[in-house]
This record gives sequence, C-alpha cells and structure tokens, in this order.
Amino acid sequence: MLIAACVKLVEIRPLVDPLTGSVDPGREVGCSAADRAAVEVVRRLAESWSARTLLISVGPPRAEPLLVELAAVGIDAAVRIDAPRGVDSSTVGRLLAATLADVGADVVVCGDYSSDRGSGSVPAFIAHHLGAAQALGLVEVHTEGPGSLRVVRRLDGGRREVAVVDAPAVMSVEGSVAELRRAPLRSVLADAVPVEVVATDVPLSVRTLPTRAFSPPTRVASAPTGTPLDRVVELTGALVERTPPRTVALDPPEAAGMILEQLRSWGYLDEPDPA
Amino acid sequence: MSGTDFDVVVVGAGPAGSAAAIEVARAGRSVCLLERGPSPGSKNMYGGVVYGRILDTLVPAWWEQAPVERWVTRRSTMLISGDQALTVDFRNPGWGEAPHNGATAYRPEFDSWLAGVAVDAGAELVCSTTATGLIREAGQVVGVRTDRPNGDLRASVVVACDGVNSFLAKEAGMYPHDDPSNFTVGVKETIALPRHVIDERFAVRGDEGVDIEILGCTGDVPGGGFVYTNRSTVAVGLVLSLPALAAGGTRPEEILRLLKAHPAIAPLIEGGEVVEYSAHVIPEAGYDMMPELVGDGILVAGDAAAMCLAAGIWLEGVNFAIGSGALAGRTAALAARRGDASAAGLAGYRSSLESSFVLSDHRRLRDAPHLVMSDLAQRVLPAVACGVVEDVFTVTNPTPKPGMRRIVRQRLRRHGVRLRDLFREGLRALRTFG
Ligand SMILES: Cc1cc2nc3c(=O)[nH]c(=O)nc-3n(C[C@H](O)[C@H](O)[C@H](O)COP(=O)(O)OP(=O)(O)OC[C@H]3O[C@@H](n4cnc5c(N)ncnc54)[C@H](O)[C@@H]3O)c2cc1C
Repeated sequence: MLIAACVKLVEIRPLVDPLTGSVDPGREVGCSAADRAAVEVVRRLAESWSARTLLISVGPPRAEPLLVELAAVGIDAAVRIDAPRGVDSSTVGRLLAATLADVGADVVVCGDYSSDRGSGSVPAFIAHHLGAAQALGLVEVHTEGPGSLRVVRRLDGGRREVAVVDAPAVMSVEGSVAELRRAPLRSVLADAVPVEVVATDVPLSVRTLPTRAFSPPTRVASAPTGTPLDRVVELTGALVERTPPRTVALDPPEAAGMILEQLRSWGYLDEPDPA
Repeated sequence: MSGTDFDVVVVGAGPAGSAAAIEVARAGRSVCLLERGPSPGSKNMYGGVVYGRILDTLVPAWWEQAPVERWVTRRSTMLISGDQALTVDFRNPGWGEAPHNGATAYRPEFDSWLAGVAVDAGAELVCSTTATGLIREAGQVVGVRTDRPNGDLRASVVVACDGVNSFLAKEAGMYPHDDPSNFTVGVKETIALPRHVIDERFAVRGDEGVDIEILGCTGDVPGGGFVYTNRSTVAVGLVLSLPALAAGGTRPEEILRLLKAHPAIAPLIEGGEVVEYSAHVIPEAGYDMMPELVGDGILVAGDAAAMCLAAGIWLEGVNFAIGSGALAGRTAALAARRGDASAAGLAGYRSSLESSFVLSDHRRLRDAPHLVMSDLAQRVLPAVACGVVEDVFTVTNPTPKPGMRRIVRQRLRRHGVRLRDLFREGLRALRTFG
C-alpha cells in the first residue's frame, strides 16, 4: 500500500499593504501548517498499516529543499512535478493525479488549503481525476484497519460529520490534526531521500493586469426637469409629509410595548391574537 | 576519524560560526554547522553596520556578492540633552567605493549569505536544530547533544559560536562568574519609508547610507542610541544597561518612544511604519568578562566569548565575531588533523587571537565600556556640550559676547563638574582611546 502527502511551497510571511491591498510575498518560504499536518498523518498511517510513503509537490526547483526537509521525518520517496509558480488549481490537481495514478497511491493526504490564498480545491480535483473517495476539511483522522479510515469533518455551526472512508481516497486535513514530528538528526544529515523530478509541459503562466480603472457602461439618462430648487426638494424629500421622529422616556416594559405597537402600526407585526 | 561524525561541530550559524565553518571546510576537514533558527540569521539582530575589512581574506571581493543595503558614507555622533542636539557629522564618499568600509545589511540575509559561503566550501549546515548540551568523556568535550531524535553529534572539536550568554561555554565551566552588570540590552524598531524619502531626509544618494550614534538619549538608564539607514527602512534603536533597567523598572519601549519623539530624530522617521521590533542582549563589558577561550575539545568565539566591542563611538561585534570565528576554525582544523584536541592542542587559538586585532583592540579598549557608561559621559558631557554650543551661538546684543573660557566654566559649574574631575576623566579617556 502507498500513502502520499501533497505539499506546496509558499511564502510564509507575505506582507499586505493595508492601503492598496497589494501583496509582497516576502522572502521566507515553507509550507502551511496544514501541509505539515498532512505529512504527519501520512507517517502515522504508514506506521500502523506498514505502508510505503511518498511526498509530492507541483512547483519549481526552489521547492526541493522543502521536500528534502519534510522527507527527513521518515518518508520513503519524494517527487517534484516541475511547473512554474502560479499554475491554476485544476492543472495542479490534474498533474498530481497523473503521477499519483502512475505510482499507484492508495490514500492521498493534502493540507486543507495552502496559505497563499489557496481555495482548498486541489484535493477535490485529485479525487475527481483518480475516481477516489474524498473527505475534505478533516479535523480528525483515525484508522479502522489497513485502507480504511474513520474521519471527522468540520461543518458549519460547530457541527461535525463522522465518515468512514475506504481507499482509494483523497483527504485534506486542517493544521490542528497533527503536529509534524522532528526529523532525527541522522536523516537530516544524510539528505536521505533524493527528489525525483517529473517533467511537464505546463507553460509559464501569464498574469494579466488591468491597465485601466473599471468604468461601468454608459446608459442614457433623461435630462433633469424643473428648477434646481425643485430638484433639491425632490432629492432631499424636504417637503414631503412624514411622521416626525419622537423622543420618549419610558420604563423598559412600557418602552417594549410602544416598540411593538409602532411595529404593528407599520405593518411589521400582526395584531395580537385576542385569545 | 573513527567514533566521530565530523572533525568539527560549530554551534551557531552567526558570523562567528560561519567564519569558523568556512576555515574548517577549506582546510579539508569535515564540519557540521548547527543553527537553532529555521535559517541562519533568523534569530539575530544588531545595530546595523558590518565592517567588512575582516572579510577581505575570507571572501575576496566580498562586496560584489554580500547582500548589502547601503554603504555607510556618513557617520554622525550626536549628543542629546533635553530637546537639544549637537551632531558631529562626517561624510566620506570614498567609503561608497570598493573596497568600502562599513555597510548596513539585514542580518537574516547577511548571515544566510555567509553560511552559504561555508556550505559552498563544504560545510554541512543543519538548521532548526538546537545544541542542548555537551557530550563529554573523561573531562574532554567530544560532541554536542541536540533537540532532535537521535540527536547526538560527535566531533573532535566543538566550536561554541552560540552567541551572547553561551550555554555551551557555561556548561563547559568556562565562564567563572555571571554578572548582569556586564550586559546591556539592545532594542530596535525598523521603520519603513520610501527610498527617495530616506535619501532626501538623510541627504544621501544611490547606495550611500548613514549611521548615527547617539549619547544622552536614554534618561536615567546608562546607554546610547543609534539610527541607520537601509534601502527602504530606517532603524532606530537603543543599547541600555540591563541592571539599571531592572532597578528602575523602566520599559525600553518607553525610552525608545522618547528618542523617536526627539526633535532631532522625529523628522527623520515621520510618517514611517514600524515593520519590526527586536531586542537582543550584548556582552558589553568585553575584555573584562571574557571566559576561558580554550578547553579540552572546545573553543569559544564571537559573542559567546564576549568579543563584541562596545566602546562608545564603536559598536562592533560582527567583525570581531568573524575574526575570532575564523581563527577558531583554523585552530580546530589543525587540531583535528593532528589528532590532538586537548586544551594544549588547541592553545594556538588564544595566541593567534592575542596577535590579531581581536584581543589587542579589546585589551586596549577594556576601560572604554566603563567610561562610556559613566555619569560623566552619559549625562554631563551631552548637557555641557549642548549648553556651551547654545551659549556660543546665542547672540546677546547689546551685552558683549562672553569669552569661551567663561562659557565653559559656567556650564561646568552649572552641572556640578569640577575641573579636576574633568581632567582626570579626560586623562583616563586619553589613555583608553589614545
Ligand atoms: C542592538 C545591537 C546593536 C549592535 N550593533 C552592531 C553594529 O552596528 N555592528 C557590529 O558589527 N555589531 C553590532 N552588534 C553586535 C553583533 O550583533 C554581535 O557581536 C554579533 O552578531 C556576534 O556574532 P556571533 O556569531 O558571535 O553571535 P550571534 O550573531 O548571536 O549568532 C549566534 C548564533 O547561534 C545560534 N545559537 C545560539 N544558541 C544555539 C544553540 N544552542 N544551538 C544552535 N544554535 C544556537 C543563534 O541562533 C545565532 O544564529 C550589535 C548587537 C546588538 C544587540
């Protein structure tokens, strides 16, 4: 059995300009806490299923030191699928799935989303291409025996969903699921796992930037009528008959009663049921 | 070598550690450079100026590859008293040309670059790994323990370059006593401003940079201040006596706030955004607090050996760290080759330090830290100097101008300074700096 962890090289300390919203990616690179958790989950599953492990990433050569560092925790093999930064999620999912299918991965674990504005869609794309079961956004992963997992998924409103997932499966985990163990010094020194590179023909993606500010399409508006004063009166509603605001000082029960009465008079509440 | 993982283990990939590793690797010995931070320099901060002359032999034409922010072509010394300031400003465009004098640089970049030189030379750099203790056999240091599983690392020689407050040197019993008054704490804010604004405010162009050392800006706490320019940030910081801070209960941020609000400093940083706050301890007392530098199987270099020179107008540590680290590396490599890592086999380190700038500067300037921290230098000198200049330039017509001697005498008297004391301290300063 083969279990794979997918990780992505990201800048871990981007700077966001609060005025313009522009992002300076910064210099420090690494991977998200969720990706680290994915690697640890893979290690734990491999230990209990006596499975082989694989670390895989789509990215430029700069990602290799990250793979070597992560693999030192005891991963058997590492693969970098050569592609430039900024490839869209569906392509990343397709590339990962192709290699994962080639090597025959039974279970794939990803971080729930990468920290560089990731959408969390890559695991879903992988599952789609592999025709595998998918369990995304997990907060707990337990093994039920080789190839079978009981997982807990976060739902809205604090609810949880418990599911049993069997291989072939793709999972994505939150960063809190597991803390990546420290690699033994010997493995770090040995650079034990060489990174195999898979070539692709993904072209350098081109970022397009708008060159002009967005301007809405023009529409025909009729010329204003009447005098300027008429128009101001109409716009401000100054002479329209209205109920002037009232200020009242009442005890809370009376105030509540008055609010209800007012809401009823505006039609927001039904009349009280005489019964 | 049998029973060892490496000939030499260097702990700490600061300037001292990387210089040591470069020398060991170039001597053809195996060396492991351990760093607790995720990358070299990620845990380090300083006052901003690297004096690169010591690199000339280690990395020829280093200025073509080192990650430098600006070349320091303006050095100012500022005395502050109340809201007054007196500045001696020296400008030397020649320092902007190779081979340069001093440069401002970000430590994560500079330290990573120097560690990279060590790796290129053949050193094995291992980050995110803390040396947690020494391994000893029959009294001899034979390696270090680390915080990783199976983390023992055995070597013929351990070079402790783990910075100020070196736990390894302490564990080896090389620091006879620990005295907090030997230490200062440095705090610093890095403030982002557009590059052209920095150029205009500091009157520099292109890659030129400025370093300002300040005295009299730390209130009741003995210390000093500094301001220096990077490409698009300005750093403002303080160096403060640790015991005085503790005794007075003063917060360093508060003193820094006052410095930033001073009329001589505020216009330089107005409108800037603080992008980083950092703090670090400095082994201020230099020569007088140095530990044993050599033990059985162990050498100590850089801040770990209190080799930072904090002598008032000079605050130099990186160059002393590189100088001492390189000598430690050379000695360790030689000892590994000879197979004698006993204290006697490593004794050449001490003598090579003695004959280099490292110990000769430290010995000559050993009194400087005490002088700079004295009440006279901290409080009286800035007040008297500013007062004298104020009196000289205040036009008092129709009263005739007072004589210079009278102005000085009056100002000294106002601050309770006797000429005799001034003379004595002046002589002491002359002996120290002369
Ligand atoms: C506020 C301030 C201003 C300064 N201004 C200047 C200046 O303008 N010019 C100048 O030249 N110098 C200046 N210095 C001094 C200078 O920063 C130091 O002297 C210099 O960094 C010492 O280098 P080092 O390699 O000995 O130690 P450090 O630079 O402290 O490096 C020690 C390294 O060891 C690592 N380490 C520590 N313990 C362990 C462990 N157990 N295991 C693994 N790794 C470990 C640390 O993470 C660190 O990377 C200043 C210092 C301060 C604080």
